Amino acid sequence: MSAAAEAHEHHGPPPIHYSSRINPAVLGIFLFIGSEIMLFGSFFTAYFFDRIVANPAQWPPLNEAGVPFERPWFLALINTLILVTSSFTIHWATVSCKKGNRAGLQAGMVLTFLLGLTFLLTQVIEYHRIGFNTNDTAFAATFFGLTGLHGCHVFIGLLILLVITIRAFRGHFSPSAHHGLEVGGIYWHFVDVMWIVVYVTVYVL
Amino acid sequence: MTSVTHDHHHAPASPSGLRKLTAPGWYRVLWTTPLVGFIGLGIVGLIRWAADWDPIWKSGPLATVGTVSFPMGLLIGLGGFDFWTYYASGKRTRPDSHDGHGATSWRDYFRINTDHKVIGIQYTVTTMLFFVISGFMALLFRAELAQSGDQYFNPQTFNVLVTEHAILMILLVIIPAFAGLGNIVIPLMIGAADMAFPKLNALSYWLLPIAGVTFIAGMFAPGGGPSAGWTCYAPLCAHQPMGNIFFNMAVQWGGASSIMTALNFLVTIITMRAPGMTFWRMPLLVWANFSTSLLVVLATPFIAGSQFFVLFDRVMHTNFFEAAGGGYVLGYQHIFWFYSHPAVYIMLLPGFGIISEVIAVMSRKPIFGYRLMALSLLAILVLGFSVWAHHMYVAGMAGWLRVPMMASTLLIAVPTGIKIFSWIATMWNGKINFNTPMLWATGFIATFVIGGLSGVWLGAVSIDIPVSSTYFIVAHIHYVLFGGSVFTIFTGIYYWYPKVTGRMYNEKLGKLHFWMTFIGFNATFFPMHYLGTQGMPRRVADYAPRFQELNAFASIASYLLGASTALFLFNMIWSWTKGEVVGSNPWRAMTLEWQVSSPPPTFNFDEVPQIVGGPYEFGVPGARHAILGSAQAEPVATGGH
Repeated sequence: MSAAAEAHEHHGPPPIHYSSRINPAVLGIFLFIGSEIMLFGSFFTAYFFDRIVANPAQWPPLNEAGVPFERPWFLALINTLILVTSSFTIHWATVSCKKGNRAGLQAGMVLTFLLGLTFLLTQVIEYHRIGFNTNDTAFAATFFGLTGLHGCHVFIGLLILLVITIRAFRGHFSPSAHHGLEVGGIYWHFVDVMWIVVYVTVYVL
Repeated sequence: MTSVTHDHHHAPASPSGLRKLTAPGWYRVLWTTPLVGFIGLGIVGLIRWAADWDPIWKSGPLATVGTVSFPMGLLIGLGGFDFWTYYASGKRTRPDSHDGHGATSWRDYFRINTDHKVIGIQYTVTTMLFFVISGFMALLFRAELAQSGDQYFNPQTFNVLVTEHAILMILLVIIPAFAGLGNIVIPLMIGAADMAFPKLNALSYWLLPIAGVTFIAGMFAPGGGPSAGWTCYAPLCAHQPMGNIFFNMAVQWGGASSIMTALNFLVTIITMRAPGMTFWRMPLLVWANFSTSLLVVLATPFIAGSQFFVLFDRVMHTNFFEAAGGGYVLGYQHIFWFYSHPAVYIMLLPGFGIISEVIAVMSRKPIFGYRLMALSLLAILVLGFSVWAHHMYVAGMAGWLRVPMMASTLLIAVPTGIKIFSWIATMWNGKINFNTPMLWATGFIATFVIGGLSGVWLGAVSIDIPVSSTYFIVAHIHYVLFGGSVFTIFTGIYYWYPKVTGRMYNEKLGKLHFWMTFIGFNATFFPMHYLGTQGMPRRVADYAPRFQELNAFASIASYLLGASTALFLFNMIWSWTKGEVVGSNPWRAMTLEWQVSSPPPTFNFDEVPQIVGGPYEFGVPGARHAILGSAQAEPVATGGH
């Protein structure tokens, strides 16, 4: 950090004294994830109110044709497996980076990015063919609310993965300096774990 | 741009010609704002055209996306994302460059600046600007309320003014004013050169004026401004004129700003403390901001969620809170108050920290019960999450929920009482110096006790039910947020004014400001307790003639408050250039920010200080708080730079 002390007539700040062993960026991303969990929490709370407290006769409720709304749980299960796999590939990329294996890092990142992209595109197609819209009862509101919020996080996560992938191909990251990779990886793991909760809540229960 | 040499402390050499349009700054803003803004609107049209929705250009979605895309264009133009763009694309960045540091002219306050002291001033000045704007709105509707009957505003306009006054005071004045004061002093107090994430810090400031301008733009939106009150209850809020979309989105900008700053404070306090600065040696202001930031990080997403839901209910026709579509109406209030009650503590805890600093220093005594003062902050933090439904006793929620909410609400009075009694015990037998900051601090205790006690009354279900939605509530929240939070903000501004500017404010004007505000404040709001118990409803432009006299009295007193604010602004602006030059430590305080020059050097400390004791050991023989490097070994209370 203090390596940037430019040799000039004017001195910079004194070297930073760190009072904690945890890296500021890593602590920052954990706090950010805490905040994100609360944001998802507010969506789950709305879901809880609409499903339990408002006490509808059945869940999912009946649509206009008189049959319950269909939730494509099997397609979403396959999508879940895709996203979970991507957690393993980014872990592989991180481990490769720590071992100095650049090919592993690059391959892991490309795979992670493609898996994430597949997940998001599948979700877009799922939205398109799902047969109900946002204005169809509170069920649809919570369905699109939770999956949509998660989809936004996947989108942001993909941007971060893209950045990391580009940097991996530009020769950034080394066994000793890979905080950018680590922080992005923590975020991506969070997106994956959150999806499992969303999936179980929205599609299964 | 990356090739600019490290000519720090001065703005990067001003670019000329066409470079002016590409270098970060207001010239670039001129074209990036409309470009990104209209791209956003275009995408909306494109999606609606592709999906075959009619009409292609619909005001709701356009306003929603426009309130994101135009501000994003502004931020891109200002250079808020430059570093991350270079970093992301793998271009060479300047690690820890300091050219964004410090301010040499007023222009430096109008750009992305990474210096925590500059950002603190940006924050504080912005909040004072909005204090004047939203205070002026209050004076306008007090004019309407001076007489019963309709005089100047129709009920719709009246409600818009009330809504905007409340939300601006909360999100654009009180919360960011503490962020501003915290920005200036926290890194100094813990012996750091800057915040942990200076670039994030710069960005989070610039989200604030965006939020403020969006709120005000909402007043002039076609169709009318937001008039559902600052609580924006669903489903009323989802059926408001279009200005309400601006309101929802501005809350998101303000909330994002506040989360980013809180995150920065937390990481800074945890990882950047000077050697020897253990948690039990931190000044109480740092403790207060630590607890507040935890609250902000954990609670603010809930207001973001609540505003998203009402926005979706309106723009995407969802049924989160629409009973007809199976939604649960009260869900909004639960989610909203789950943030907005902790928000009360977000608006008070940093003020408690300021008061602790000032009372210990001006009484020349160690703070009474230091550890309990810190722990009571954490107790308020935890309890603050368990009381939200006391705002909903009459909303129609489950009846059994009232009792636990009442119990936890009354319980909060315990840690708060610990703080009040500790301040009084600190002053006990102290050598009290009743200068302006101390007057404000003691005035705060007096008014806040009134507000706190009426809060305990309101926590009791049996008292709350008859006075719900009356002026008793208005009186209570103003005693807590004006007599509480705003008084502490004034305390902090007067206390750190000599540190920030190097000059002393005018003491006579400061005292006059205090007495005018103290008298004007009590005269305005105390009668409202009585009006409330007599049944005068809040949020109405007209009222029964029997409330006439006290309302006229309150309106006249509110103009005294307006005059006192003018006096305050004059004092601040005049003293900035004409005030008496004072040394680095006019209050003879022990905390670190007073051990460096006034204003502090660009990087605060030449060497990392060594902390050897507590921050308030006044009168303890031989006690020291910190040992500073030789370059700064400047005896206390001699001249600064």
